[in-house]
Parts: sequence; structure tokens; C-alpha cells
Amino acid sequence: MTEANIAIEDVQSGKADKIIKLVTISGQLDESNIDEKSKQIYDLINQIPQNLNLILNLENLEYMNSKSIGYLTDWYGKISSANGKIVIMKAKQNIADILNVVGLTQLIPMFTTVEEAKFAILGEQTA
Amino acid sequence: MAPQDIQQPIKIMLTLPTQAYFMSGVRDFTLGLIKNTTQFGDMWAFRFQSIVDELCNNAIEFGSAPGKDIKLEFLYDGKSLEITVEDTGTGKNKTTAKELTAIVEERKKPTYVNKEIRGRGLSKIVANWTDELKFEDTQAGGVKVTAKKYLNQEKNPTGLQMEEKTHIVLQ
Repeated sequence: MTEANIAIEDVQSGKADKIIKLVTISGQLDESNIDEKSKQIYDLINQIPQNLNLILNLENLEYMNSKSIGYLTDWYGKISSANGKIVIMKAKQNIADILNVVGLTQLIPMFTTVEEAKFAILGEQTA
Repeated sequence: MAPQDIQQPIKIMLTLPTQAYFMSGVRDFTLGLIKNTTQFGDMWAFRFQSIVDELCNNAIEFGSAPGKDIKLEFLYDGKSLEITVEDTGTGKNKTTAKELTAIVEERKKPTYVNKEIRGRGLSKIVANWTDELKFEDTQAGGVKVTAKKYLNQEKNPTGLQMEEKTHIVLQ
């Protein structure tokens, strides 16, 4: 199985109706590991069925295949229909490129810092 | 390697067992090969890495049964890079070249909305990042997929920033 890791941390939102999790994904998501790794995100979605917001930190994600993009699209659908948002931060050029070619960047915005990502979720403007 | 240095096309053939486990190594090989022996830049090296991965994953899922093989061929002639992936047609989800062609054409339509986890590899990634994509049935009963990209951008001048307008919301 190709090496990949998903770490989940709390992010203080300052708002009772906004639960924000920082999901740091590293390594390579491919056919050999994505079914197993995606369970962590589905577990999180099941634990917090409403008002869940995810900041996906892809700074150390080196590769993702079409099936992992399919899962990301599924997470987006589930979270956005339950009053939440998904945003991406620090994606490498090749990751941004593949998300763009499948059209996902029209749905999931990308940012370069956690502050920008957090502001986007909270509906605030950066300075 | 500059185009003028190519005396004859560079052809590299690989045979892989039908297991996703090996794809990480194939991706590394593809990236190194394209960066070191072709005139394609980093962006296209990463794109070809995805193309090869998606074609092989497709062959693993639909073409070759576990225990059988997948054949890859890289062909670079200084003007274009061609990648061919051939399966044995022994997989339980076997599809024909005609069926694959129809699936890709259907999913390329702007009106097509993908509500599945799968189904973006060939139609969105491979089709958008290659100038020619061809599916052929083999005499052995499998399918051979050939993806070709020209080094100059004349055939696809706007291809670098291609963006699908189809929304793919899953709910």
C-alpha cells in the first residue's frame, strides 16, 4: 500500500454554529490506499453530521488519483448539504492542476494560508 | 534530451502484475523518464504521471484479472510522447474498445454530471490532457489504449488551462 497519512485537528472558530477541523493529508492518495484512508473522513462526517467545516491542508500531498478526487467530491456534497464548507490550502501545483481539470476548483476554493481558509469558512474577508 | 539529439524513437516497455501496489513505482518511473529524456516540462511530467496511473488503474479494474499482466509502452520521438496500456481482457469487469469509447464520449459532454466516486480518470484527466486517445480491441481479447501528446501545442493551443464547466455536486 502506498504511504499516505491523514491527521485531524480542531480549529477554534469562535462561533458555536461552526465546527472547523484542519485535515492534513500527506503522501500519495492512490488506488491502493484511498478506500481505507477515506474512512477517516467519513467517520468524521458521521460524528459531526451538521455544521462541519473542513480545511484540507494539502501542503505535503504529492499525488492524488481520480478516485481520491471522487471521494473529495462526495465529501463536498455531504458537508455542503449539511450547512458546512470544504476549502483547500497549500496545494502543490500538480494537485491544483488535477483538481482544476476535473472542475473541482469551481466548487472547492483554494487558499495559501490557514487564516485565509478560516476566514472563507467563517464568511469573513481577509484584510 | 533535445529533439535534434533523437536519432530514433525511444521505446520503453514494461510488464506489470495486475496489482495497484506497483503503481507507485510506475508513477515514479514515469515522472523521472519524462523529466530526464523528453522536452516536456515539469507540469506535463506530472500530467503524464496521472495519465499513466489512470490508464493502468482502468486496466486493473476492467481489463486484466488478478495474476495476469498489464503491458505499458512509452514511445518518444522528439515531437510527441505516446503511452500505450494493454490489458489481457481476462478481468471480470471486462469492457470492449467500443464500450470504453462510448463511455468517454458520454462523460466528456458538458451536460454530463458525474454522481459516482469513479469515472473521471479517462474522460476528464486523460481525455483533456492528451491530443489523441484511441481504444482498440486486441486479438487476445483485451483492450489497448493509446494516449498521445504532441510537444508543441499547435493541436491544442488552449489545452493548458482547460477547465470543465460541468458541476459535479454529489448529494
